[in-house]
Amino acid sequence: MNDLWTNRLSEYIDGELDNTERAALEEHLATCGHCYATLADLRQVIARAKHLEDREPAQDLWAGIRAGLTTDAPIPLRRDRLVRRRFSLTVGQLLAASIALVLMSGGGMWLAFRPDAQPSPIVQRGIESNETGNRNVARWRVQSDIAIAELQDALTLNEGKLDTATVRIVRENLAVIDRAISQAQHALRRDPGNTYLNLHLAKAMRQKIELLRRANALAGES
Amino acid sequence: MLTTLATLVAVSLTMPQGSGQGSGRGQGDSDTTVAVQQGARLDVNNFGGEIVVRTWNQNNVRVRASHSSRSRVEVSTSASTVMVRSQGRRGPPSIVELEITVPTWMGMSLSGTYTDISVANAGGAVTAESVQGDIEVTGGTGNINLKSVEGGVTLSKTKGRIEVNSVEGDITITDAVGDITVETVDGDIALIRVDAANTEVNTVDGDITYDGTIKAGGTYRFATHDGDLAVVIPPSACVSGSVSTFDGEFDPSFAVDTVRAGRHRITFAQSRCSSPARMELETFDGDIKLRRPGEVELEMPDRDKHQWKPHDNDFDLDLDLDLDFDINVDTRTITRYANQYAAQYAAEYAPKYAREYAKWYAPKAARKAARAVRRQLPN
Repeated sequence: MNDLWTNRLSEYIDGELDNTERAALEEHLATCGHCYATLADLRQVIARAKHLEDREPAQDLWAGIRAGLTTDAPIPLRRDRLVRRRFSLTVGQLLAASIALVLMSGGGMWLAFRPDAQPSPIVQRGIESNETGNRNVARWRVQSDIAIAELQDALTLNEGKLDTATVRIVRENLAVIDRAISQAQHALRRDPGNTYLNLHLAKAMRQKIELLRRANALAGES
Repeated sequence: MLTTLATLVAVSLTMPQGSGQGSGRGQGDSDTTVAVQQGARLDVNNFGGEIVVRTWNQNNVRVRASHSSRSRVEVSTSASTVMVRSQGRRGPPSIVELEITVPTWMGMSLSGTYTDISVANAGGAVTAESVQGDIEVTGGTGNINLKSVEGGVTLSKTKGRIEVNSVEGDITITDAVGDITVETVDGDIALIRVDAANTEVNTVDGDITYDGTIKAGGTYRFATHDGDLAVVIPPSACVSGSVSTFDGEFDPSFAVDTVRAGRHRITFAQSRCSSPARMELETFDGDIKLRRPGEVELEMPDRDKHQWKPHDNDFDLDLDLDLDFDINVDTRTITRYANQYAAQYAAEYAPKYAREYAKWYAPKAARKAARAVRRQLPN
């Protein structure tokens, strides 16, 4: 990945590049799959972050912060930051947030188990403890199962819009993936902690989700 | 603004037979040519039939269409887009064969439902999507995005960011430069003579073959559930990575440093350098083969491999009849002809395609059978 452009992706998303820079970056994106994937991840992070709910802090820290402030120092008025939540983060922050979101939304299993990854602190904490890792895996599986069930329900409702041959192809290939999932699960029952098998199962379930999404999208277009 | 200045020229192409290049075909044969400015794009949607795109050195787009009188083809142009749509006069359109010639520089977006798509010598970005149909593209630069549900995808001589996706069909990419992402569910994937720094290849039921560059700092991930992996690693490549297989063998044809990293996982390395290529190879049920250049037997799919497909939709029965017999028929007539000709064509084509399919599928079936037998044998 080209660091020159990677560091500018946040500005690109925020529309802060001039025309020349934007054109140059877009030209680079056309030939750099990783940069494009990173850009997509960052956009997803921003999109999801905008929908996060504000929560009350578990503990009121203001008293301690106030005590640590010198009374002479001017307090900057940044009403805009208070009023409008603007998500302009550095690439590092966005990547960290992206990893966190992936952990929450399904790819966590891959990140938690990937044997050779150079994990971020967020991920590192996830794999330091088997208990935490197992919780992540369990949560990920539940989320994936829910996603698959919802998509299958949607497809059941929508498949009447698809041509019978397409329905047949989708079903046949879902069966191919189900067979792969079943074999991976069977292997995992004998070796539950196996990293490769967990990752393989995750990959197969992702492929099932992708196929269901695509079939539903086709039905929606029909 | 380009869009506000756009001048729409809608041409309903219903010229009678014999007036153009389509003599002897359907009643709606037509031929039209429109001028385009540099930077314009082609946008085609053809419900069923074929989209064939060729290039030339003129700033004109020529659209030739062959179809029955029950369908029509509309060509509309603006400053930025040439749009081609097939439409039915009553209900969905029947088969329409489109032959389109465009400037070499032109980017294009081609889509269809029961549609084979073929592009030759493209010079711009290419997006092609079909539900049931093969896609074959040569050339193209920039974003190359090809998708089919049921159908093979063949891409060659291209440069850019390449994404290819199928559900049931083989994918073959040759002589390509750029980052590559490929995925299918049931099909083989072959990447031959590719120059890629980042490659991600996934299939569930199929073999994967990679014979391309292995660049310093690059990332190469290949995964299948049921199939073999064959990856060519040149002697000069500096690469480290892992192989994982649940029920298969790691089979390098040359000496390579390995360390067992788990019950089903081995790490390997060839050469030492500051920025090795990273390679991850996984198959649940299959062998992983590392080979030197020239050692991989390339099984290039026949371009017509998926040409014959037993579609059972309601729209394809009338296709050949429309075109071959040049008549406008209703469903009852179609049924009568189908019954009459099905047996005749089956007798004629079945042996031919049986031989053709046997040629391609027998080796794969044999490999699977061999694996199954191997598993039964004592170690």
